[in-house]
Amino acid sequence: MTRIAYRDPEDMTDEARELMRARGNLNVYRTLANAEKVFTGWMLAGQAALTSPVLPLRLRELVVLRTAYLMQCPYELGQHRDIARTAGVTSDEINALTSESSWRTAHFDTTELAVVELTNELLTNRGVSDAVFDQAHQALGSEATVEVLMLIGRYSGLALMLNAFDVDLDESARLPIPPRHGDLTS
Amino acid sequence: MSRIPLVDAEQQPQPIREFIARRGNLNVFRLLANAPNVFAGWTQMVDELFDSPTFNLRTREVAILRVAHLQGARYELSQHTEIARGAGLSEQQINAILDTDDVDAAGFSRTERVVLDLVTELCDTRGLTEDSFATARDELGEEALTEMLMLVSCYYGLAFVLNAVDLELDAAARFQP
Repeated sequence: MTRIAYRDPEDMTDEARELMRARGNLNVYRTLANAEKVFTGWMLAGQAALTSPVLPLRLRELVVLRTAYLMQCPYELGQHRDIARTAGVTSDEINALTSESSWRTAHFDTTELAVVELTNELLTNRGVSDAVFDQAHQALGSEATVEVLMLIGRYSGLALMLNAFDVDLDESARLPIPPRHGDLTS
Repeated sequence: MSRIPLVDAEQQPQPIREFIARRGNLNVFRLLANAPNVFAGWTQMVDELFDSPTFNLRTREVAILRVAHLQGARYELSQHTEIARGAGLSEQQINAILDTDDVDAAGFSRTERVVLDLVTELCDTRGLTEDSFATARDELGEEALTEMLMLVSCYYGLAFVLNAVDLELDAAARFQP
């Protein structure tokens, strides 16, 4: 049960309300909107992350699910189990990513496995070995590697907030996958 | 030695050049600028966090330094130890945040102690008990508590990025809060 009141969209600035509306009036946004002096910037950072075409959607969701699992964040898990399915992650793969170690034997491709390995080691040890870093970096290149790391950073930080507020999972509303720059199919 | 090459600040799009000119030509920005699509949005978040009047610099630095310490983030520690000094924290207080001196004897204000305890519990357990949440809410109020969590969240997540890349410390450049 959430520990503070959800902000009413009527009580937000036009810019904040519009940024929230575009992503569904999810409980996470209505909670964080209580920090009205910094909420818009946080939403703009999120919009940039969500609309960048650099990472394939499926790869993004693998990273988010592994992060949500290791951060023990029921809200992120609840949202992203469904979003991951939309992005082409199978139920078996979702179950593997949200268990201690069976992701290692799931049928991810080499790049996906390298990225999940990086996510897992980083969140477990707060650092990564040369070998694990190099594997992901060689597969992705510098731009996409930095995006993966920023994604881990954003969702791990968000997990702390969601857990601190004990935000209720939305009944049915899920983050829509927004159209991306340069992506004509979604 | 950083595991990802750092870009040249002069070669970046105008909004990023402008941000770096204001906040400092730091290795962290030259790293994140490898991903311009997400970095541009991230800079807007950082600007709001540091331009907001909700917390004074000193309170923010208490939180940031504690996150940096518990995350083992060498780069954040290197930048923010100096900023914390500039914000008026004593050597004894800085050492207490870094667990090398007694926190009870360091003369923190009530708010600063609540912030320290909040960050410690979040970093250690990834959440807060009902009691800890109530203590923080009663001390800060709902808006400021949410904003404090936004700040903690930013530095907590950034620590993972910095640690993964093993980012080199800046020789002289300092963040302008």
